[in-house]
Amino acid sequence: MSAHTQTHSLTDRVGARTVAGLMALVFGSILVFGVGLANSHTLHDAAHDTRHSYGFPCH
Amino acid sequence: MIVRLLLAALAAGLIAGMAMTPAQYVKTIPLIMQAEAYEDTEGHSHDASEAGAAHEHSGDSVLGFGRFWDTVLANLVAGAGFALMLAAVALIMGVELPAGREAIMRGLLLGAGAWFCVQLAPSIGLPPAVPGFPHADIGDRQSWWMITVAASAVGLWCLVMRPEWVVKALGLVIIIAPHVWGAPVPGDLSSEVPAYIASAYAAASLATTLFFWLLLGGLLGYFLSRVPEEAAA
Repeated sequence: MSAHTQTHSLTDRVGARTVAGLMALVFGSILVFGVGLANSHTLHDAAHDTRHSYGFPCH
Repeated sequence: MIVRLLLAALAAGLIAGMAMTPAQYVKTIPLIMQAEAYEDTEGHSHDASEAGAAHEHSGDSVLGFGRFWDTVLANLVAGAGFALMLAAVALIMGVELPAGREAIMRGLLLGAGAWFCVQLAPSIGLPPAVPGFPHADIGDRQSWWMITVAASAVGLWCLVMRPEWVVKALGLVIIIAPHVWGAPVPGDLSSEVPAYIASAYAAASLATTLFFWLLLGGLLGYFLSRVPEEAAA
């Protein structure tokens, strides 16, 4: 039983949809943080109009 | 299958993000530019540490092609990011997306829920603001914004997805809590930006983002429903 369990990947245990969901959550959070919230002048200036248009706190 | 699900979310996000640029150039960005004209002539609303840092984007740009393409890129990244997060919610919650019209309808509902959490709920305390508007400390506002988005999402899930009345009531409390606590408010509310621009802008921001989230939700529901259960990749 234990040997059997070890051969199972994370995908088998919690399901491919949940694994995809967790990966999407990580990638999506990084992208949204970079566009909307990161405290970098370069990112702020490039995403300025997008930040304002989405109502992110800006300036 | 995992790769296919992520690609489905990315596709929906890039299409919705692409559609957002023309929507912004019709509704929000003309108002941002009008407001900047007032901000630049007065310039008193920024303190010394912020002066010069906030608005140097007129000439320089990250891509080197100017402000328009910066916004196109930022909207694509924002679209992809929001799409991945919305897909994450759908996949982790186990929302079933039967093929066809039903998948689009459920996607639209997901998009509407996300609009409530990411746009409407935070806008109650921090109205979408044009440049030159009075503002509290950026760190305080970002913290309150993130807490409100998260609380609204958790609260909405309790309210809509759970059958127990106690949990539904708790969800309502969680949604309201950040507003009872209160958003950071600037000390001085005076501004050189005309009130008309500000109020038109708040409505324009909520309207364009509603368009974005409904388009994103509908596309996401449709694309995710097209990923076969037994797909290898």
